[in-house]
Amino acid sequence: MFEVRDLTKRFRGLTALSSISFELREGEILGLIGPNGAGKTTLVSLISGTLVPSGGEIHFQGRRIDKLPPHRRAHLGIGRTFQVMKPFPALSVLDNVAIGALFGAAGGERNRARARERAREWLEFTGLGRYVDQRADALGGPDRKRLELAKALALHPRLLLLDEVMAGLHPVEVDEVVALIQKIRSQGMTILVIEHVMRAIRNLSDRLLVLHHGQQIAEGSPRQVLEDPRVVEAYLGKRRV
Amino acid sequence: MTRRWLPVAVAAAALAAVPWLGSETLVQYGINAILLATLAQGWNIIGGFTGYPSFGNSVFYGLGTYGTAIAMAQYHLPFGVGLAVGAVLGAACAVVFGLPILRLRGPYFAIATLGLSAVMSAIIANVEIAGKNIGLILPLFRGDLLFYELSLGLLVLATATVAWVSRSRFGAGLVAIRENEDAAQVMGIDTTRWKVMALTLSAVFSALAGGIHAYWITFIDPASAFDSTLNVKMVIMTVFGGPGTVLGPVVGAFLLSAISEVLASNVSTVAGAFYGLVIVLAVVFIPRGLMDVSSGFRRMGWRYFADNVRRHRL
Repeated sequence: MFEVRDLTKRFRGLTALSSISFELREGEILGLIGPNGAGKTTLVSLISGTLVPSGGEIHFQGRRIDKLPPHRRAHLGIGRTFQVMKPFPALSVLDNVAIGALFGAAGGERNRARARERAREWLEFTGLGRYVDQRADALGGPDRKRLELAKALALHPRLLLLDEVMAGLHPVEVDEVVALIQKIRSQGMTILVIEHVMRAIRNLSDRLLVLHHGQQIAEGSPRQVLEDPRVVEAYLGKRRV
Repeated sequence: MTRRWLPVAVAAAALAAVPWLGSETLVQYGINAILLATLAQGWNIIGGFTGYPSFGNSVFYGLGTYGTAIAMAQYHLPFGVGLAVGAVLGAACAVVFGLPILRLRGPYFAIATLGLSAVMSAIIANVEIAGKNIGLILPLFRGDLLFYELSLGLLVLATATVAWVSRSRFGAGLVAIRENEDAAQVMGIDTTRWKVMALTLSAVFSALAGGIHAYWITFIDPASAFDSTLNVKMVIMTVFGGPGTVLGPVVGAFLLSAISEVLASNVSTVAGAFYGLVIVLAVVFIPRGLMDVSSGFRRMGWRYFADNVRRHRL
């Protein structure tokens, strides 16, 4: 349902991503891992359209999308979260999420009252039900992560890009979010997830893709990939014998 | 809904009755105040709701005055046609310059719009049909009553439009852009289109106000038509009343007009200083405008003001 071919991104002299190619199958969870600065967030930004690729192609449901502006990709059903969270600070938690319902996939729900109803459902789903009337900037860290997730879900994506939604959460919260993502997948969404919490990513992902210095260094099942010497080296450095 | 707007309707009716009850000076003062309120309300759409601090609204105002003046003075067309010409000019300018300028954010956008105002006044000062830098004289029409009621009608229309914006999907999109444009984009909002539409709507009201003012004052020149201090007034009045609210700009404009009028007639020499002081105090103690005070005060009492100082300090 989704394919990236030879995707490259250069920032002036720096090649942030070079020739990345992979596919996503319907309903799959692909984990995207790699050390800091590997280009993971850049990849998500290229897919969601907030960055323009220097080369390569992106295909989504049989259609080339790498030339489309971000809002058109959202209408087609690509939703993302931001690692550096981007709530609408002065709006209520409910209105934050309602924006997704109003404008998201296929143009969204045009009626504001109905969009709020849908938003309320997503807030219940993500465990934010008690905060509907609070301002978004009054939420604490973990709840902001959930809000980021609820906003992306409300636009009814078919492909969900999650950029470190578990960073900074304690283990119990991580388990909650893992369960939440599994619940999301069971609704038929395809998910690309960036994560540093290894335990979580191993449990969640059907497959892993490893980036290092903008290169794709490994791809495969979690067990296979995490034992790959190149991956171990990227994370821990060369083994000294 | 009906109950909420009843006081507003009563206030509008009371304002409409002013010419029959008040003095001539009051009516003239009223026309100015109402046109300023209309301008503030127009600015509210792009500045308050969308979060783009436009200094181009005085350009739209100027185009409105010139559109009306050229149509009436040079082509002897009726006033209504003149107003339409001005509004079309203002809207066209908003679309043509909005597309490139609205890519800039924050202070960069403000500076670009400021530049636009300087450029436009220089252009008009060299156009033959616009009377070059001498200006244009419109046909004389004495009828303060008509100008007053017309201005009030425009203000009601502007406020009704903003009321609609605040409840519509369009308005939700504008507010999302103001709160976080990157997030708005990936959530499916065609930010460029919405921003241009907001600026255009804002421009139409500025231009119409300019057209009415031109015919009322009967003489215009580039300096008075493209006066950027007028734009500063729109910003101050909106921010004083409550940016992004429906009634804030109107309340802000009326109050500040009244304050400056009272100061000017009583302590004329230091009026400017007092006016400045009022604005400084407002920005420090009620940065979200008057419309936020009642709910804030109910919530936290006098602490509301202290909280504002603490929260918004640099």
